[in-house]
Amino acid sequence: MALGNKKLEDLLNPISEQLGHANVADNVEMPEWEFKAKRVTDGLSAAELVDLFESEAGKIRVTAKRCTKDTLAQTIAEIVGAGVPDSGDACSVVCADEEAFAEIGLYDALRASDKVTDLHVWDEQAGQANVDKAYVATYGITYASAGIAESATIVQPTSAKCGRAISLLPLVHIAVVNARTIVPTMLEIMQAYAASDEKLPSQVCFISGPSATADIELVRVEGVHGPMYVNYVIVE
Amino acid sequence: MSILYNTEATLAERVDECLADDFKHNAIKAAQEAFYVKRGELVEEMGEGWQQLRMHAMEVRNHVTENLDYYVKQFAQNAEANGCVMHYAPSGDDALWEVLDIFESHGATYAVKSKSMMTEEVGLNEVLEETGIKITETDCAENILQTAESKPSHIVVPALHFNRSAIADIYREKRGYDGTDVPEEITHFLRKILRHEFMEAEVGIRGCNFAVASTGSVTLVTNEGNGRMVDSFPKVQIVFVGIDRIVPDLEALDTMMALLPRSAVGAKMTAYFSLDSGPRGTGEVDGPEDVHIILMDNGRHELANSEFQDMLRCMRCGACLNICPVYRHITGHGYGSIYPGPMGLVLTPGLVGYDDIDNMVYACSLCGACTEHCPVSIPIHDLVRQHRINIVNQGKNHKIEVPIFKALGLFWSNKPIYLAGMKLGAPIMELLGHDGALDASSTWIPVVKNWTSTRDFDILSKSRFRTWFKEHKAEQKNTEGGEQ
Ligand code: SF4
Repeated sequence: MALGNKKLEDLLNPISEQLGHANVADNVEMPEWEFKAKRVTDGLSAAELVDLFESEAGKIRVTAKRCTKDTLAQTIAEIVGAGVPDSGDACSVVCADEEAFAEIGLYDALRASDKVTDLHVWDEQAGQANVDKAYVATYGITYASAGIAESATIVQPTSAKCGRAISLLPLVHIAVVNARTIVPTMLEIMQAYAASDEKLPSQVCFISGPSATADIELVRVEGVHGPMYVNYVIVE
Repeated sequence: MSILYNTEATLAERVDECLADDFKHNAIKAAQEAFYVKRGELVEEMGEGWQQLRMHAMEVRNHVTENLDYYVKQFAQNAEANGCVMHYAPSGDDALWEVLDIFESHGATYAVKSKSMMTEEVGLNEVLEETGIKITETDCAENILQTAESKPSHIVVPALHFNRSAIADIYREKRGYDGTDVPEEITHFLRKILRHEFMEAEVGIRGCNFAVASTGSVTLVTNEGNGRMVDSFPKVQIVFVGIDRIVPDLEALDTMMALLPRSAVGAKMTAYFSLDSGPRGTGEVDGPEDVHIILMDNGRHELANSEFQDMLRCMRCGACLNICPVYRHITGHGYGSIYPGPMGLVLTPGLVGYDDIDNMVYACSLCGACTEHCPVSIPIHDLVRQHRINIVNQGKNHKIEVPIFKALGLFWSNKPIYLAGMKLGAPIMELLGHDGALDASSTWIPVVKNWTSTRDFDILSKSRFRTWFKEHKAEQKNTEGGEQ
């Protein structure tokens, strides 16, 4: 058979044949699964889940801080103000365009900070300029859609208001997580997406700590292609 | 086909070379131990939940295998509905053809790539380079290998066979690095030089750990963030998906993800896990504009409904490598396959057949440690033994070894003898490991599963394996009159 230009059938037919199926079934019912796994988070209260999220964050080298809605803007401004090693004098910030951020006065607080040299709020009209800003930014600030207690993971969907670059290109990623959205395991997130009628976002990124490698002699190095430092701010 | 490499050398020659490289197997040993210890802690923490997860993962994956045509179709249709362009590749060559076609239609000549076994399987880099397309590997280890023109020695940490000063030298020579040998400095140099490549490349090429049939999504598990860079900035994205990567739905995906990072690197999660469903959405300014999915079979369907169908559950975690006493010594390069270690012994002949694999399937002591550690409970060592039996039955084996492996096959298939063997334990080990017909026949130490506790592996591997292998080879040379 000639190379390339194969149809789905060309891929499916040999599989069906191998399986002894005359044709591909129109519908396959999922069986009743025999096994259900116990998880370490089973039976934990909401408050315990937040505690677990926080303590697991420490294990994966994330700095976690708690605050309330009223102190959120200030908490973030403080993190930015404290700086990180190797970041130099310039301190530019790229922020997701979140109503919640505007509401608590985050953008104003950052503009008012004498540390911040440039603040860019993601703007779908600005196109590639958003990515260019993130490329040179020291801080990227996002609002996670949820947190996962078991592994201190934050769930970060991509949208027109929050591009992929914000949590990826800057030296530091600050993720805000609402304590009420912290669930036991990834399963609850998956179930919620499965139950929704909406198409999945083009990307849902599950982030657990700074980018890291152990490729050279198994020595752990943080800050490979993604952020070198990650902060979670838990809003209660 | 690039599953096999360094085939000019015989298995014995490759193994010899690996055994002589102390740095290499010490590095592998360190990796095995590090991953193994961390994995063990997490498994313990989960208590009975771990076994339940394994069993559940097995039933889910088996269900997919039994209905593979249905789930492949469902995934393909849903991915298309998400706006992905589907390319169907019954063979590896079909996949290459499609990739070249994609480059041509986009007029692209520059790609960045994140680690993907599937692309290695088809020899993608070589083909692209031959056609004048620049392709940069962006995973640290893969970049080291690409720059050094070397091959992976481990499926999870592929460049372990180079020490830090060798790596620094490679970059000094090829990329103008002028820093020290400190891993952190070298890594940050890589961060710097690769950054603008991600921005400039026209095409991003990546693999897929699990593909979700019900949503048409592909996923990527990485720690370094290069996978995210590859799937955020190049305008065109090519995703390689094996037909054996499919899970039915998002819940099943959670099960797999509870097992994969724990088994692979001893972590609850990797730094990044992305679930991608189509090109960038309305108003989004990053992410690919065009997503091409290469859905590839390349021999996998033949494993379905065969004695090797359990292997279709494999999630390429590398846990079996990390526990394997043979792998520890001969390292990834000894096997001569991009799929090394226990999983490779089953998968490699499963994909390429028996003709060109030398005596690879004997690079196994049948100890069963891999099977015990496999997150999806693949009876790996049984499948290795099955390959041996098939080779003998098909008359494909080296002539000297045929009668003895026949005897071995008999040994395993004859239940009373097998049970006697279980009871005898150590004496059987003696019989198999030292003298007598069985010994001269088997290239590696065949032992009865569970003949001893896992703790004894170390004794086996440390004190005896290398010496044994050397002696054994000398012996074999004599019996074979130098014929190899
Ligand atoms: S055979 Fe099992 S342990 Fe080995 S790589 Fe595959 S899933 Fe992991």
